[in-house]
Amino acid sequence: MPENSSPKRPKLAWEPPFIQPHRVGEINKFGRHRPREARVASVFGVDVELLKKNYGSPLFVTSEERLRANVRRIKKAFAVRWGNTCHGWSYKTNYISAVCNILHQEGSLAEVVSAFEYEKARALGVPGEMIIFNGPNKGRAILERAVAEGAQIHLDHLDELNLVEAVAAAQGRKARVALRLNFDTGYSEPWSRFGFNLESGQARQAAKLAAASPHLQLCGLHSHLGTFILEPRAYGEQVKIMCKFMREIESSEDVQIDVIDIGGGLPSMNALQSIYLPPEQVVPSINEYAEVICGTLIEETRYRSHTNRGLPKLVFESGRAVVDDAQVLITSVVGTKRLPDGRAAAVLDAGTNLLFTAYWYNHKVETTGEARGALADTVLFGPLCMNIDVVRQSVQLPPLRAGDSLVVSPVGAYNNSQWMQFIEYRPNVVLVHEDGDVSVIRAAEDLSVMMAQDRLPEHLATPFAPVRGAGCNRFDAEAEKQAKTLRPFRICRG
Amino acid sequence: MTDSLLAGALSQCSGDRLRQLAVSDTGFVFDPQTGQSFTVNATGRLVLDCLKRSDGLEEAAQCLAEDCDVPLELALSSVEAFLMQLGRYL
Ligand SMILES: Cc1ncc(COP(=O)(O)O)c(C=O)c1O
Repeated sequence: MPENSSPKRPKLAWEPPFIQPHRVGEINKFGRHRPREARVASVFGVDVELLKKNYGSPLFVTSEERLRANVRRIKKAFAVRWGNTCHGWSYKTNYISAVCNILHQEGSLAEVVSAFEYEKARALGVPGEMIIFNGPNKGRAILERAVAEGAQIHLDHLDELNLVEAVAAAQGRKARVALRLNFDTGYSEPWSRFGFNLESGQARQAAKLAAASPHLQLCGLHSHLGTFILEPRAYGEQVKIMCKFMREIESSEDVQIDVIDIGGGLPSMNALQSIYLPPEQVVPSINEYAEVICGTLIEETRYRSHTNRGLPKLVFESGRAVVDDAQVLITSVVGTKRLPDGRAAAVLDAGTNLLFTAYWYNHKVETTGEARGALADTVLFGPLCMNIDVVRQSVQLPPLRAGDSLVVSPVGAYNNSQWMQFIEYRPNVVLVHEDGDVSVIRAAEDLSVMMAQDRLPEHLATPFAPVRGAGCNRFDAEAEKQAKTLRPFRICRG
Repeated sequence: MTDSLLAGALSQCSGDRLRQLAVSDTGFVFDPQTGQSFTVNATGRLVLDCLKRSDGLEEAAQCLAEDCDVPLELALSSVEAFLMQLGRYL
């Protein structure tokens, strides 16, 4: 190689030489197939780079078409097997207003679990009678509103039962209530902290009390088994147990149960970290669930045809199965590194601050550009100054460069609600309308959003030397300018 | 790296064995003897090319230092580590 001592640009970017074997034939996330690069140029029909240019990165992109199709498909699966069914949209799964209203337009009730969620549903224009009020912490004030507006209140504990009764009595009303139950189906870990336990007799006692109260109308039974339930038979057992309890209390108390609410928990096509096989191989179809649920319901309510009792309405509160794959996250590579153990790594502009679900899912990650070489085991870090901010511990990706776009999916469930206001601003969320138009449905945060709730006591109005003689410095001018926007201040001069 | 370790690594991946490897422009490496394939990064490809031409370790490091504009010692120690890696796989 010729000697050349004059300054020149290196021909090659420095990186220690490195070779990595392909583990062909070993089982991996993709089953036994050799991993292939997943590449997309557009999401929900819109060009990724165009979206980034118009709305910035990171960016949540939501599909109206997919969301409507999902809820229609799930509702149909139940409705064709059990005519009287209804979906309750679990707000906490994704409470972006546009998402909620799309589902309300599709006929979904609002399933809310706090004063905030209740007020949000009402602010969106959902009438009280179309609200299911769940959750273990409903304060008196919001219960007064819910009772007055005719919401269906799902009781979680005896103190709440007494409180709702007192509120209804004070209003001279009869509150519509359901009992949230917990019990062991033998399939999944029981969520015994919510509602009244069946095996211990707590639920029977609550039913007795509610039935005896002139201010409570016990009209429903509710239970939520847990989340990402991969075994349809768990729901069969749930429905069986609930129907048995319904029959029992209807014969011992003066009540008529007309709602059986089986909660949520249907899985989405996402890859749980604890499960080795890909979701396509482990997630049963919605029809398998509907078959077991409605089949059991038909079986367990057959006796009602010999009585004068009607068939109960079946309510399901699916969250993730409805919204998860209706949203993706576009993120950009900020920089790349080679870790000491040889793995490739990239720092992204989105991390667990936006993708809370990265703690339990291995999201799909797709590249968007031209093919750029062989795949290698890569770690994807987020932008936070936290070691646990990892979007993917291990994913097969081609060599990445700063500025590259990645599409992470599915992300529609529990991210737009559990994301953190930590270190970074939260970005735009856009909706791809059914006609292909795109609009912002949640605007990116800026400093005014981040500081809107802060209040500065007068003596803390400036960061430096608020008290005369305590020492001034050259930042005063800047501090003065900033503080003016917050509060009256005292600042020492010269 | 001790001299004997390095000598072992070098002897394992020298000459014909290295020349048999098919290396693509995108960094895909195929070893026809074992059927094993690898990904090699750009600097690794450069070093492989040098070694396949029967350049020794020092010449490969020299190439790397010049092309990437890094100190020779850095290039040398990286090439040594790379050879150890190759020794494990070939
Ligand atoms: C009472 C209730 N209903 C519905 C849901 C929605 O669950 P999923 O998103 O698993 O369907 C939840 C979630 O925790 C819940 O607690």
